[in-house]
Amino acid sequence: MNSLHVRMRWLGWRRPRVARWAQVALIVLFWFACDLTSRRLHLPLPGSVLAMALLLVLLLAGAVPAASLRRGADWLLAEMLLFFIPAVMAVWQHLPLLRAEGVRILAVILVGTVLVMGTTALLVDLVFRWRQRRAG
Amino acid sequence: MRDELLSLLWLVITLAGYYVLKPLYRRLPRWWTSPLLTVPLLLAALGLLLGMDYPAYIRDTHWLVLMLGPATAAFALPIFRYRQLIRAHWPALLAGVLGGSAMAIASAWELATWCGLDDSVRRSLLARSITTPLAMLVSSDIGGVPELTALFVVITGVAGIALGELLLRHLPLRSALARGALFGVGAHGAGTARAYDVGTEEGSVASLAMVLAGLLNVLLAPCLSHLLR
Repeated sequence: MNSLHVRMRWLGWRRPRVARWAQVALIVLFWFACDLTSRRLHLPLPGSVLAMALLLVLLLAGAVPAASLRRGADWLLAEMLLFFIPAVMAVWQHLPLLRAEGVRILAVILVGTVLVMGTTALLVDLVFRWRQRRAG
Repeated sequence: MRDELLSLLWLVITLAGYYVLKPLYRRLPRWWTSPLLTVPLLLAALGLLLGMDYPAYIRDTHWLVLMLGPATAAFALPIFRYRQLIRAHWPALLAGVLGGSAMAIASAWELATWCGLDDSVRRSLLARSITTPLAMLVSSDIGGVPELTALFVVITGVAGIALGELLLRHLPLRSALARGALFGVGAHGAGTARAYDVGTEEGSVASLAMVLAGLLNVLLAPCLSHLLR
């Protein structure tokens, strides 16, 4: 296990692109194993969330150094948009529904997003200032 | 044979469109140049030409959707990276994520009921504020249509970039923490990218808030589905 990290460090330094793909492959394998486990054991947690939780535990325990997964993870997160665009195109199957309710849906999303953003920001600011006043 | 070629063509178009249109946003970062908006619009325009046949479209592109699983696993790294931030500001983050998520669910439910939307649409709207892979999980859990949720998430992202800037100008926010959380909880990945333009601290807070809000929703989804039955 340890030599793998050493090799990954070396690879990241010498061949960053190869290291990135190797790390992506490692994360995919890890996710696949977790997904299979979650399905077989009928766990209530989806495989991808289980994989994230286990990975976080491994990182916190120091069993996996963050440096040896950083490139792969950053790539997966940065390209996430590409991964869900195909799912979005399913609107082709829901066109009649969207033609009938599209404007109302848009209104709900716009008003809802303003409410969510306002609530979140004001709450965070409130608690932050309250803590600051108590500390100072 | 022709169908298989068409599926393959869609995959190539999706990949090419994404990698061609992505640099546009980096050069001209506006809400309407976001690949979140431009790539689906391009695909929709081509759909008019090639025929909007979703089964043919998804046959080869479903491999891309599958990659959302590993991407979710990769969220462990930002949480690990910002553990110091969590330790220092957990009460404020907790308040924002809890309050924001509650407002997201309540506002979607109330507004959708008030507008008289379909039940499946209403359920699909509940998870629209969180990051796509988790939103699709939550949506299928609470009786929504995951694909519709993916669309609503995209609309929320595009709208969130524009609305977030507007709100930043008018709300009296003193901390980078609040500015970051606004984008992260309100507009997931799209908002997070925008928050990094405001400042590095805002960006880190946004990506952390996004992941935490998503996880909270996933964990609460079983209770929520029970409640909304």
